[in-house]
Amino acid sequence: MLLLLVILCVYEYIRTDTPDQNPYLITDYSRLHPVKVDRVVKGKEEEQLVRLLQEAKEKHLTVSIAGQRHSQGGHTYYKDGIVIDMTDYNQVLSVDPDQRQIRVQAGATWEKVQKAVNPYHLSVKTMQSQNIFTVGGSISVNAHGRDIRSGSLIGSVDSFRLLTADGQIRSVSREENPELFRLALGGYGLFGMILDVTLNLTEDEAYRMENEAIKVEDYSRYFQENVLGDPDVRMHIARISVAPDRFLTDMYAINYTADSALPLEDYDKLRTREQGVIPSKMMFSLNRSSDWGKNAFWSLQKLYFTKQQNKAISRNNAMRSESEFMEYGQPGANDLLQEYFIPVDQFADFVHGMKDIVRDHKLNLLNITVRYVEEDREAVLSYAQEDMFALVCLFHVPLSEQGQVQVREGIRDLIDEVEYKGGTYYLPYAAYPTVEQFRRAYPGYDDFFRKKDEYDPQHLFMNYFYEQYKGE
Amino acid sequence: MRWLIRSQSLVTLASGMIYPYYLLFLKNLGNSYAKYGLAFAVFTISSAAFSQWLAPRIDHSGHRVLLVSSLGMMLAMLAFPWVESYAWVLLLQLVMGCCSAMQKMSERLLLADHTVQGERGPVIGSYHFWTSAASGFAVILGGYLIDWLTIDALFYASAVMYGISAWAVWKMRKP
Repeated sequence: MLLLLVILCVYEYIRTDTPDQNPYLITDYSRLHPVKVDRVVKGKEEEQLVRLLQEAKEKHLTVSIAGQRHSQGGHTYYKDGIVIDMTDYNQVLSVDPDQRQIRVQAGATWEKVQKAVNPYHLSVKTMQSQNIFTVGGSISVNAHGRDIRSGSLIGSVDSFRLLTADGQIRSVSREENPELFRLALGGYGLFGMILDVTLNLTEDEAYRMENEAIKVEDYSRYFQENVLGDPDVRMHIARISVAPDRFLTDMYAINYTADSALPLEDYDKLRTREQGVIPSKMMFSLNRSSDWGKNAFWSLQKLYFTKQQNKAISRNNAMRSESEFMEYGQPGANDLLQEYFIPVDQFADFVHGMKDIVRDHKLNLLNITVRYVEEDREAVLSYAQEDMFALVCLFHVPLSEQGQVQVREGIRDLIDEVEYKGGTYYLPYAAYPTVEQFRRAYPGYDDFFRKKDEYDPQHLFMNYFYEQYKGE
Repeated sequence: MRWLIRSQSLVTLASGMIYPYYLLFLKNLGNSYAKYGLAFAVFTISSAAFSQWLAPRIDHSGHRVLLVSSLGMMLAMLAFPWVESYAWVLLLQLVMGCCSAMQKMSERLLLADHTVQGERGPVIGSYHFWTSAASGFAVILGGYLIDWLTIDALFYASAVMYGISAWAVWKMRKP
């Protein structure tokens, strides 16, 4: 009996003895590149943050800024540097219902923002599908989401205050320091520490959810005519099947249509509990582990969404989607995101090309969701260089060095295909693409890194995004 | 005696399975360790207070107390995933404190009742061995279960085990 227990313990030790599970190293959601940092400090007050920067400069340490650490390319830490964890710097400073604005500290999550604005029947214009991320983090990646009318996050940012490398706190907006506005928004924490943000809000509304099954070939036309062309449709998301039986051919779309006949008060109580996490997580495990599971998961997903047909939901509730069931913490492997922006009319061609690449490289693709982002070139590193579909792809990947080499090859081939179709890819994820691929996708790169040297000549703000994409 | 060991092995299995993860769960509730400390103080103080009420009554109802304790813990485990406020956590801590007093006191009582002075060592040794070994398995299993499912699933699994241990205690009453 005792021997059995000891053997079990030894087995557990060996099984979990991978770098991604080392509690004394820092990494992010990806669990790639674990490193030792000087220390992690909780951001509490403005003066403390200013002092921290001063200290880092004197001791020649780097500073990285972290929120929920859901970015996946080492954006939130750097070897031997100081990590400033902003999640406690999270107060709602003011809500102005007349101006439809909210001012929050950067570490506040969207959940906190929603809680603060919901009583005023107000809502966030643009954010990710889930509300677990911090506002500061979302701004640093210039996030986008299901809203099809408000563009990417930059469009709803009125202004923010930025603690820059020289120790100054600057007001940044389209009027004041406009250059920094375009750099720090989608700047991945390289231009300073965002302290607090003023966001423009919109009205909370009651939506009716409508689902439709479509084929990949018909999606672009369907979207332009039935979704974008119908002014009442406010939000939209679609899914592409990764089940082997219908691999990258079948889709279904969910549209959130404003319906003035629905009284908002009946639906505006914020949902705070995730429903059915245990069965969903079991199903997602099957989806991860076998072809059979993928087929079963797709059928069940379709069934679930058919049941949602015509259900009413408030905008604030529609913007707090489930995520817990996808969490995965097993040693040696992880589910990682990649996201590709494809011009609307190239969608079907791209998905077709993607099919072979995913199969050839034996990538374990778990999920693809499709969102729409309007052309927006305001940020220096803008991804929506025209009207695009964003394909958010979740891959199950090994974290071992050899496994990563294979994944990297597959992703690079996918990026070639993206580029060929005139698309771009999203930067908050693992930097599998080459520096050349990055430069072609983001022609503003030169300006971005030049300005980085100008605003932060000592490279006080540092992370692996800089290291991997600067390309020296 | 065998049923006592069985039922209490299950109780340690259930509590050993949930306890370390439950601590993590509690820590995540508040930002301060003081708040976390308070939740634990409520547990121990209620346990202490309840023991005083229980002391004069337990001698003749050891089995029943053990049964109630298991059932109480089962209900607490079922309730935890649904709690959405700190006040409820404190209330559950209070209930669990009382259950813990019942469990600890009646367990000792029954151990003493079923053993004879001078021959207690081996029984207590075997009792301790099985309950601790059960705990070892449980905690490893618990980790797998959370990784694969969620911490809520672990609460439910633990509730099931408390339920079975209640059944084992009930079974023990019959000759």
